[in-house]
Amino acid sequence: MAIDNKEVLLEVKNLEVTFNNSRKNKGFRAVKNANFHIYKGETFGLVGESGSGKTTIGRSIMRLNPISDGEIWFNGKRIDGKISNEDKREVIRNIQMIFQDPAASLNERATIDYCVSEGLYNFHLYESEEDREAKVDAALKSVGLLPEHKSRYPHEFSGGQRQRVGIARAMIMEPKFIIADEPISALDVSIRAQVLNLMNKFKEERGLTYMFIAHDLSVVRYFADRIAVIHNGRIVEVAPTDELFKYPLHPYTLSLLQAVPMPDPKIEKAKELVIYDDSIRDFSGEKPILREVSDDHFVFANDRELKEYQEKLNEMKKD
Amino acid sequence: MSEKNNQDNFDKSLFEFQIADDSASEHIAAPKYSYWGSVFRRFFSNKIAILMLVIAITVVLFAFIQPIFSGYDHMKTPNINNKAMHYIRPFKSTQYIFGTDDKGNSLFDALWSGARNSLFIAIMATLITETIGIIVGMFWGFSKKMDVIMIEVYNVLSNIPTTLIAMILVYTLGGGFWQLIFALSVTSWIGTAYFIRVQVMIIRDREYNLASQCLGTPTWKIILNNILPYLISIIITSVSRDVPSFISYEVALSYMGVGLGQQFASLGQMVQKYSPYMTSAPYLFWIPVITTAVISVSLYIVGQALADASDPRTHMI
Repeated sequence: MAIDNKEVLLEVKNLEVTFNNSRKNKGFRAVKNANFHIYKGETFGLVGESGSGKTTIGRSIMRLNPISDGEIWFNGKRIDGKISNEDKREVIRNIQMIFQDPAASLNERATIDYCVSEGLYNFHLYESEEDREAKVDAALKSVGLLPEHKSRYPHEFSGGQRQRVGIARAMIMEPKFIIADEPISALDVSIRAQVLNLMNKFKEERGLTYMFIAHDLSVVRYFADRIAVIHNGRIVEVAPTDELFKYPLHPYTLSLLQAVPMPDPKIEKAKELVIYDDSIRDFSGEKPILREVSDDHFVFANDRELKEYQEKLNEMKKD
Repeated sequence: MSEKNNQDNFDKSLFEFQIADDSASEHIAAPKYSYWGSVFRRFFSNKIAILMLVIAITVVLFAFIQPIFSGYDHMKTPNINNKAMHYIRPFKSTQYIFGTDDKGNSLFDALWSGARNSLFIAIMATLITETIGIIVGMFWGFSKKMDVIMIEVYNVLSNIPTTLIAMILVYTLGGGFWQLIFALSVTSWIGTAYFIRVQVMIIRDREYNLASQCLGTPTWKIILNNILPYLISIIITSVSRDVPSFISYEVALSYMGVGLGQQFASLGQMVQKYSPYMTSAPYLFWIPVITTAVISVSLYIVGQALADASDPRTHMI
């Protein structure tokens, strides 16, 4: 899926997020020096294991977590740190989030009507009460729910239905950019496709841009245009999906790709697993940073490693 | 072979095509859920709770209505010189159901007049404690800056016994309704506030609150719509503990002689006044004590049942 006009929608520069639990120690650096950009209209996948900082990056963009260093630019405007209330409203209107756990992300004591129209109330995005109801009805219909569900409470819905309420709640704000924080990992396998297709439908209809946070590579491969691999708070490789799956360079990416189970038991049994281990790697040379190896393919490397990766890439491309 | 024949020869008129309807799978078959409807259904399925509710309502109504008709005044003692009217035992005369006391006053009238004052004080003190406690506790749980200061205030105030503070305040301000209500509720709210703070902190970081933040909901609206509804059962529990505890505080303070003051009748003052008669005329002592116990227990059980019923986890099925 090539994007012709590569207009950058979101840019993250040297992002660092630190969690302090006391004033004495330095705190835990959840995200270290993260750099990436997201083009308009693409789906950007963010992959990594649990605790690698995927969600933290998503929440920092959403301004839920304060950042300790770096910059976040959205649509040519800086959105991190202290910004005016108007800019804050602008961020909220343009960036929305789909949450991981549909059981936890809806207010159990509010009706679906309130859950979906919460954003409308906050920004007064409706002309009259009828207009608001019409908007809620349309939003519910667009995710395949019925207007009669408005008076129901979240606990009466199935997981897939709840997740679709969460999507309707985000979509009613008519955002440009959506951060989907593992939107399907809490769902039953049988309804994952339903939610993904729904997200794709919205992308085509409204020209949305997604940041898709996941740990399931097979889903990201199906869904994302470009993928960033994150390990221990560090982005180690960024590449278009096909390129990443064909020519994984960083050893961590390699291990991650190998971990995807194969549906063929013969291949699965013969597969030799390489477990990524920081301690056996050669870290000689200066400190590595994220560098471009080939066109739009970035790897976390220093000069020596970059040369190795380039050689490796050329070899792989020959085969 | 015969099966195949059967399949070929079925009567086609018995079958008809059904158009696939995606929305059919989205229908919820369960009847519509209403929160307060379920709360009351749950509450009234508890037989002991209904019994206690009837008792509590009867006592409260009696306490607030009976004194209007009896016109009982604690300070008037018309029968003080009529020895025949003193110490009439309960259920001996129709006019004095609970008998008369050492001054010839009807114990029945005195009891309800005292119960009214005690209940009034307990309810007012609870109302003040809960209102201030909930409002402060909500913001306390949300704001880290406020937490730093409030936790110190809490540490200091909660280490001074409420009874001691109330005693000193009543002693300095003088006996009286509002003085006693003030003395009882001046520090008690901090306990409620701390209790609410802990609950808010538990709920505060749940994902649906982050979702509300993502939608731009201001903090006060998150408190009102996302946090407070979750605390209903906790608040009801807290209220149902506060009312009986304030009644017993009042009783304890009056017993120590620093309660409402002699000009007002109250349950505590009656217990204090009649305690010397525990052996000679035990009904004088035991009737106010039992009434206090009945009010406390019935209100507590009703409150607990209501708190259980207001927890939606009990509403399923």
